[in-house]
Parts: sequence; C-alpha cells; structure tokens
Amino acid sequence: MDWVFLAELAINGALTGLLYSLFAIGLVLIYKASSVPNLAQGGLTMVGAYVVLALSHDAGLPLWLAIPLAALIMFGLGFGIERVALRRLAGRPVIMILMLTLGLDIFLRGTTLAIWGGTSRSMELGVSYEPLFLGDLFISRIHLVGAGVAIALFVGFMVFFRSRTGIKLRAIADDYMASWSVGISVERGVGLSWALASVVAVAAGVIWGEIQGVDQALSLLLLKGLTVAVLGGLDSILGAVIAGIILGILENVGADFLDPLVGGGSRELIVAAVLILTVMIRPHGLFGRHEIERV
Amino acid sequence: MEKKVEAQPILSMNSVEVLYDNVMLAIKGVSIQVPKGEMIALLGSNGAGKSTTLKAISGLLKAERGRVSRGEIKFEGTDITEMLAQKRVEMGICHVIEGRRVFEHLTPDENLTAAAPMGMSRSELDREKEKIYNYFPRLAERRNSLSGYLSGGEQQMLAIGRALVTQPTLLMLDEPSLGLAPFLVAEIFGILQKINQEEGMSVLLVEQNALAALEIVSEGYLIENGRVVMNGTAAALKSNSDIQEFYLGGGEGTDFHNVKHYSRRKRWLS
Repeated sequence: MDWVFLAELAINGALTGLLYSLFAIGLVLIYKASSVPNLAQGGLTMVGAYVVLALSHDAGLPLWLAIPLAALIMFGLGFGIERVALRRLAGRPVIMILMLTLGLDIFLRGTTLAIWGGTSRSMELGVSYEPLFLGDLFISRIHLVGAGVAIALFVGFMVFFRSRTGIKLRAIADDYMASWSVGISVERGVGLSWALASVVAVAAGVIWGEIQGVDQALSLLLLKGLTVAVLGGLDSILGAVIAGIILGILENVGADFLDPLVGGGSRELIVAAVLILTVMIRPHGLFGRHEIERV
Repeated sequence: MEKKVEAQPILSMNSVEVLYDNVMLAIKGVSIQVPKGEMIALLGSNGAGKSTTLKAISGLLKAERGRVSRGEIKFEGTDITEMLAQKRVEMGICHVIEGRRVFEHLTPDENLTAAAPMGMSRSELDREKEKIYNYFPRLAERRNSLSGYLSGGEQQMLAIGRALVTQPTLLMLDEPSLGLAPFLVAEIFGILQKINQEEGMSVLLVEQNALAALEIVSEGYLIENGRVVMNGTAAALKSNSDIQEFYLGGGEGTDFHNVKHYSRRKRWLS
C-alpha cells in the first residue's frame, strides 16, 4: 500500500469535494427558504459562468471587475425569478415549484445554447496548472483556490444567518404563515435567497468553468451537488461543506480501489450509492433539520 | 350595548362577507367594533367563522385563497379591506394565529428578533425584548433554547411576545387557551389584561373558552354560522341564559332532559 499516494488521493478528493460544496451551498440557500431543491441550480451556475465570459472575453473587462459585475447581474436575476415566476406559486403544492425549477433549468440551457452556442470555451482565470508540491504530495492549484472560495462563502453565510435579515430568512423557512402574521415579507425573503444562490452560482460557475470548460455540461453539476446537499441535510450549510468533503474523498479513494475491478466508471456508482443510501437510511441527512417532536 | 362608546373605534368592520376559493362563504355580513383601549371577545363554537373574521382583519386570508367579497374594514379611520398583510402590521395590527406556530427551529430570542420591524434599531429592539421578558419571565429563562422544545404554555407566551415586538395598537389572538391547563390560561389571560392596561393596547380575543374570556373583556360578540347573533357587555353576556346554557356550561343544571332541549334550541338559533 502506497500511503503517500493514498493521502494524495484523499486530499485532492477533499478539495474536489469542497467544490461540490461550493455548488451545493446554493441549493441549500434556496431549500432553506422554499423547502424545494432547486433543480435549476446547475442552469444558474452555467449562466453565471457565461455571464462572466461575456463580460471578460466578449466585452473586454478585466476578470477582477467582470466577476463582481456578473455576481451583481445574477443577484438581480435571482430576484427576478422570484418576482416573475415563483410569486404566483406561493401556497401551491411543493411539486409545482419543483417542476417550475426543472422547467427553468431547461430554459436556461436552451438560452445559453442560442446565444453562445455549444462549443466549450475556457475561462482563463490565470491560475497555474503546475501542481503544488506539499512534500511528496501533488495538489491542484485551481482546486485549492476553489476550496478556499467555498470555505469563505461558508463562513460568510454562517455570519449572515445570525444577522437580523438572516434570522428573518430562517423564520420564513420555518413557517410562512407565522412570518406573514408578524409582517415579515416572505416574498422578499424568498427572492433574497434566490438572489444569494445566484451569486453562489457565479462562484461555482467560475471555478468549475476553469476546470472543465464553459458549456452546457456545467448544468450537470446538479447531480453531484444534489447528492452532497442531500447527504448534508438539504437545509444545512455546514452539512453541505462536510458532506462535500466526505463525498469527494469517498469518490476519489473509492474509485482508485474499484476502477481496476469493474473497469472504470465507479465514480458515478459511488455517487449514486451515496445518494440512494442517504435517502434510505437517513432521509434528513447528516445535519438536516428534522421535525421537532415534543414529549 | 348599554355602554356608549365615546371615541371613534380603533377597528370597525361593517357587514363583511368572506369567500374562500370564490365559492365558499365563510362569514356572512359580520359587523364588529373594537373601541380604543378595550378588550373585546369573539365567542362561538368550532367553524363559526371566528378565525376567518380575524384573518379578514389581518389580511392573512389571502394566503388561504380567501377574500373579502363584501363590506369594509376600517382601522383608525383608514379603509384596510384590500391592504397587504405586511402593511397592516406596520399600521399596528398584529394577529397571533391559532396553534401558537412559533418558529420552532429558532430560539425564543431569535423569534423576537425575526418579528422586529425593519426600521427598529438594535437598542430599541433590546428594550422591547426586555419588556417582553418582564411580562413573561418564563421566556427569559429559556431565551436561548430551541423554541420547538418549549412547553405549550411557553410557546403561547412566545407567540404573544413575538407579536408585541411589532408594537401593535390592536392585538388579535386566536384561541390562545387552546390545549393549555387552566392555571396557564389564567396566567396568560392575566398578562394580557396587564398589557392592555399598561400599554393601552386594544385587544380582540377569539375564544371557545367563553368562561375565561368573559372574565377579562369588557364586551363580547357571539358568532354562529358566520353571523353575529349576539353582542353585549361581558356582564350582560355572562348573565344571558342562552350563553350560560351553550357556552358556559352553567344554567339550570345539566340533566339529560336539558341537554336534549339545548340541542334543539341550538338548531333553532342557527
């Protein structure tokens, strides 16, 4: 057994996992306010990446300006989605909202295809592809940067949810009717959660766009992101971070053991197994909220 | 009715009709007046239309696909019939909805913070919280535990406290005694009375527990099948023989003969 190699697999797995977390945080934000897994989060991530490209490569802005500007645009888009589509569905069954997010995902994919075509484009963040050497360990720089962004967002949101606005958002997640009864604007709260999730989508879109190129395939991140969010508990940001690390390590180390046996493709199997087992054994995930029962 | 109301009422509701889903008529021409600074009770049995009346006043009807189809509701002289619920809270109407409904995954302290109006400063909010903890010392002890694990009585206190943070001038409560032990009902009603006296807050209290409610209010309305069937001072209602029979469980004893008699009369009334 090569321990150095195993450690390298685990560390790079954990870093990749944090990139899944980066995506999953957006899912959690929306789930907290609407109790719906946003199936359009992949679409939003892809649009976030395209908007950055449009501002930097097409309009010629420097990246340090293009990224915050894209975040601002996506913030507005998130609010717009609530205003135009979701508000009409307030009080309707959750399945309706779920279908709406699915429709939105398809719509976003179609729109980017129409505007920018389907050819994969590169983000060119300027992060070196030379691996970083930590003793004997090889570590990917871009993964390290992405993991840092994920942790920064995590800390930022932990602080945010203790602020007054954050507490109001958590109240909305708890009980719409009670929130209305004390004058909390549920509509604005849900809009804010979509806006914040759209900003997270820009971060995820930039990092993942750099890693795998910007095209419609970015929206498929939804599958891994959803697995991480479910394992973490859907409404727990801490859960999303820890579950991301767990899934990343499992996937990387597990695939190394299993791939020779099954001849490749075991990554997907591991992800699928985690999703299915979580739902069967622990439906509210590692840190998810469960209904409080008093005795 | 004997007592003449001098000032303009803080709330007046005139022949209000409420439709759910455009077909179901829940209340049929309800008229109610709440004089400033008074405590008024809305009595009646299950499904009589008491909760619907409160929701029409607070604007929460909309969330249940109901609407006021006739009549008007005035709050301090302003027509609020079509106003957004959020706006009405800003104007000073707060509705403590049925079943306590605290934010279970938040602490009591966070429950109070969540209800704070947007413009309230931090020091103002802290002062408001201290005042509420003074009214409800039990809440102060548990201010940092999870609200979902509070007892029923504590949750009801929290629901009332949460409403007080919005600084209402009209506080409406829907069945605050539901499922609580009698000593807790007495404690909560006592505190309501204190708040009413110290802050001059008007209170509209919906209750099935008429006995407890008539002890603290000055006036009451009796609703049956979506209509106001009786209205009078608390003393007059308490001594009314129908009220005694149907809602206070008193009257001339409760032998079997009388029970039969009363259900027949009740059918007549509705």
